[in-house]
Amino acid sequence: MTSLGSSSSSATEYTVRVPKNTSKKYNIMAFNSGDRVNCSTWTQARMERDMSARRIYGEEEMQEGAAGSEFGKKQREEARRKKFGIVTREFKVEDQPWILKVNGKAGKRFKGQKKGGVTENASYYIFTQCPDGAFEAFPVHGWYNFTPLAKHRTLTAEEAEEEWGRRNKVVNHFSIMLQRRFREQERGEDDDDEGEKSGKKKKKGGGRGGDLRIHDLEDDLEMSSDDSDSSMGDDGESKTKAKKDTGKGKGKKKKKRKSNEEALEDSDDGDYEGLEVDYMSDDSSSDEEPEGKGKLSKGEDHPKGIDEASESEEESEEEKQNEEETKEEEEEEEGKKTPVQVEKKKKKDSSGESDSSDDSDIDGETASALFMKKRTPPKRGGGRGSAGSSRTGSRPGTPSIDSASTSNTLRAAASKLEQGKRQPQGPVTDSPAAKRLKMEPNSQSPAPSGKSTPQPPSGKSTPSSSDVQLTEEAVRRYLIRKPMTTKDLLKKFQTKRTGLSSEQTVNVLAQILKRLNPERKNVNDKMHFYLTE
Amino acid sequence: MSEKGEVDLTGAKQNTGVWLVKVPKYLSQQWAKATGRGEVGKLRICKYVSFTLNEELTVIEGIEDKTVSAPREHPFTMQSVGGQTLAVFTENSSDKIALEGVVVQRAECRPAVSESYMRLKRLQIEESSKPVRLSQQLQSPVTNNYKPVANHTYNLEYERKKKEEGKRARADKQQVLDMLFSAFEKHQYYNIKDLVDITKQPVIYLKEILRDIGIYNVKGTHKNTWELKPEYRHYQGEEKTDE
Repeated sequence: MTSLGSSSSSATEYTVRVPKNTSKKYNIMAFNSGDRVNCSTWTQARMERDMSARRIYGEEEMQEGAAGSEFGKKQREEARRKKFGIVTREFKVEDQPWILKVNGKAGKRFKGQKKGGVTENASYYIFTQCPDGAFEAFPVHGWYNFTPLAKHRTLTAEEAEEEWGRRNKVVNHFSIMLQRRFREQERGEDDDDEGEKSGKKKKKGGGRGGDLRIHDLEDDLEMSSDDSDSSMGDDGESKTKAKKDTGKGKGKKKKKRKSNEEALEDSDDGDYEGLEVDYMSDDSSSDEEPEGKGKLSKGEDHPKGIDEASESEEESEEEKQNEEETKEEEEEEEGKKTPVQVEKKKKKDSSGESDSSDDSDIDGETASALFMKKRTPPKRGGGRGSAGSSRTGSRPGTPSIDSASTSNTLRAAASKLEQGKRQPQGPVTDSPAAKRLKMEPNSQSPAPSGKSTPQPPSGKSTPSSSDVQLTEEAVRRYLIRKPMTTKDLLKKFQTKRTGLSSEQTVNVLAQILKRLNPERKNVNDKMHFYLTE
Repeated sequence: MSEKGEVDLTGAKQNTGVWLVKVPKYLSQQWAKATGRGEVGKLRICKYVSFTLNEELTVIEGIEDKTVSAPREHPFTMQSVGGQTLAVFTENSSDKIALEGVVVQRAECRPAVSESYMRLKRLQIEESSKPVRLSQQLQSPVTNNYKPVANHTYNLEYERKKKEEGKRARADKQQVLDMLFSAFEKHQYYNIKDLVDITKQPVIYLKEILRDIGIYNVKGTHKNTWELKPEYRHYQGEEKTDE
């Protein structure tokens, strides 16, 4: 506008005209300021109405006349609609959005949606200056807000929901769209080979995350080789790079998983047999409880266990155990320490290929996982147990451990814990999972009774690394806790568990008592010993 | 058809600048009444911008009060466009789209406040505050309906019509068949009532004929409808066998 707003001090007057017979309808095309649209840079533009809403509005036209049509169907449908009060809005072409394509195929695309309410209370006019200096005012017919359309691929609603569910696990976000593109490609090549495609799809679907999913490690590794073949340049590289990263993480986890597998399988060896639920237990059950709990919370209690273990007498065993324990500690520390997580891994191991929804209820599945796990190990445990028991000759001295296999480390550690703390209250982490686990094994205790040796309720098959040892320390602890008769004490140190014969037990117990010299008192006509510290 | 959808970009290339002015409703109404070439007033631009409405357009239709009229002076409030890009495009009656220009200045047309304007506004408000629907109590009850009659008018008409038409006579079977076939050419499924209407035959007779050539759909989407037997049909894609 050249002569508008000029700095003339004297007023200039212009006539304003409102042309009457204009056939053109004026509209406003509004762009967002952030899009930085400059109309003068457009070389070519096409604009059409977006009629995609028509099919939603239009009824399904049954064939007019002839096959498939009914006489008077339209009227009947209309009457029905009126009866139910269904009001269908008409499809007005005037209100449909515009699709604007600038600079041809490779240029930008915009969608212009009509803004309502513009002409309701006030009118907008476009003032243009004519060559003769007068202004012409045209009323604005409609206002359209134009927004740029994304040219890149986007996820559909279902896919977006899936990815949302995996958002905490997904590290490599590039792979999300990549996978989708692969899937689309395959769908495009559907005609060629169905079988091949399905196989490929499964593989790709398996590695669909490319993400941190432990059980898909093999699939992903296979995939990475495939991808490098078929992928497009940078994408492939980034993907393989990402795979390496995730692979590393997975490797770590795999290692951990393996160690956990081994450890778990062994420790599952009838451990939770005979575990009782009742925490307000009598003495008889107090043994089993700490044991089981010790096992479950071995992660957290490792430092404690080791400290306490160092207090106990056998040093050789300690050293060995310490080594293995520290190793295990490292492995444990890599992962998580709560029993729940341990169970989670168990579950993943047992249930080969779990589904990808990691937000699923873990607790609910641990029970089943445990059940599954229990079926298999008991046999092995039984075999090993008998071998172990035959191995140990003298009991309290050196509970020999399978030094060869790290498999016993967990059990060893747990046994140390047992020695370490004979407290009636269980270990610190009384998680519900642990509790439930105990319940489950309890119900199962009659089941694996097919073992060769009738296992004591604590379920330890090898007395060598048993939980109960007839030591002065243990007796002292019992006596401090509450007054006990000799009979009670004997019950505590059952022959099956300590590995001693009954005579030996009696002898050893007598010696210990002599050493301890506990106080006596008579309760219910029975002589009780007790210590006060 | 390459013309369709093609946007004429001359305005954009020339960078034609226009003003976007917001105008009150009553003023636009007055502008619509302009005669001749459409002159409505004068725009004065100096340090400020103001618009003066022509004298003859100040009379507002529909308001008898002579003291109420549209004001003449309207100062413009100028506003900047901001970062927003506002373009103007036009649509022809022949669906031709052209880009006319870009908005360089926005303005609001306000009336200079005067007594007559206030009165005008007041009238407007009064009018707009009237409820659209109004409940009124009737003075006396409506008495010209539901009077007891010997026979209602509607019934009388109905009976008269029936008598006039008379009972439907059985026409020749061949004729009826022809009628049916032509009807079924138009639509595939028919209700028995509709067929009776079309053929003007008594129901029983019609049903007999239909049983010969057609089948009765009991279930499915076309419930309780008659259609021709498959051998009689010749819709698209089907074999034709005549009777």
